[in-house]
Amino acid sequence: MRPILLQGHERSLTQIKYTKDGDILFSCAKDQVICAWFSANGERLGTYHGHQGALWTVDIDPSTTLLASGAADNTVRLWDIRTGKCVKVWNFDTAVKRVDFNEDGTQLLAVTEKRMGFLGTIVVLDVKVDVEAEQSDEKALVITCDESKATVAAWSYLSRYIIAGHEDGSVSQYDGKTGELIYSTPAHEDGMQVTDLQMSSDRTYFITASKDKSAKLHSARDLTLLKTYPSDTPLNTAAITPKKPFVILGGGQAAMDVTTTGARQGKFEARFYHKVFEDEIGRVKGHFGPLNTVAVDPLGRGYASGGEDGYVRVHAFDRGYFDFGYEVEREMGVAGGSGKY
Amino acid sequence: QDRIEEDKEKGAIVDERRRVLNEWLAWREREEEELKADRRELGLPETLDAEEEANTDGKAGGEGAVVE
Repeated sequence: MRPILLQGHERSLTQIKYTKDGDILFSCAKDQVICAWFSANGERLGTYHGHQGALWTVDIDPSTTLLASGAADNTVRLWDIRTGKCVKVWNFDTAVKRVDFNEDGTQLLAVTEKRMGFLGTIVVLDVKVDVEAEQSDEKALVITCDESKATVAAWSYLSRYIIAGHEDGSVSQYDGKTGELIYSTPAHEDGMQVTDLQMSSDRTYFITASKDKSAKLHSARDLTLLKTYPSDTPLNTAAITPKKPFVILGGGQAAMDVTTTGARQGKFEARFYHKVFEDEIGRVKGHFGPLNTVAVDPLGRGYASGGEDGYVRVHAFDRGYFDFGYEVEREMGVAGGSGKY
Repeated sequence: QDRIEEDKEKGAIVDERRRVLNEWLAWREREEEELKADRRELGLPETLDAEEEANTDGKAGGEGAVVE
């Protein structure tokens, strides 16, 4: 798996997202710029300038018309993907840490930071998937997190629920229409922040990554814990691969946080686990610092990782990846990957 | 003797994997059925892909009608 190295950011990466067809990937970093790249050859398509602070998050609507971004300048911006023009700015009281389009692109959620005088919130914005349309200033919904601030959030199937991961390690489920808290569960170790939350392709289950060094798979319908993936380093990100039953975890201890010298090298690896059997099956080296974000091509052809080192590495899966299977998977006829997974 | 023990252990691991995989596939099947039922209830095509296809087909059909 020889990766393509994308050099375009000057500071650490914060999030990477693929378009629905997997052809383009968007990356954002603390350097205030969003980059768009062809995932096949790593050629840079363009950049999106306008934010006045570190970028924390990006997402693309399912029709690849609009790009949404959230940043430390307390704004959410909407961009015309094709022209690079900013078509809407929503202002908030604090930084925006995560944005996520629902499955039909008509609503965008934004997670806002907690700061003196302001509680963390999850805000829902109505979006018209049209670059010419006048977007509404109104917030369709505001969920206030008074227990523990949300750090990440995503929409479930049918936009029925908003699922959030919190600073205290808990995961909660809100009604997508009313914002009412339905259920909350201490998914990760108490006080260990949930750092990433990514949905399966049909949005019926999701993976969380945490500083408690584990990633977990949960049902979006009732938050049932399905699987646990233990690791030996604090995790910043986790993704579910389509086609093959794997999950990819990323993390690592920043050099300044490592108290003992001679800490084992190569902690900055993407770790592959079998989604169902929970075993670690492989690692991919490359980054010189912790992995902050991992994204998988929705068509299952490859993945990309973004590091604290400022690099994006795009990997195309090779033959060995697609051939890999357990004996029992062959026996049951699902070794090549299956829709059933 | 050691090999018999080893084989036993291996067998137990394989049995356990078979059980875990069956459990997962059964759960996925239930979830998929439930999602389809939820979508039918809302008057939507059974899957998101079918819905998107229907939308684009609709558009293509419209353009076709103009050409005719």
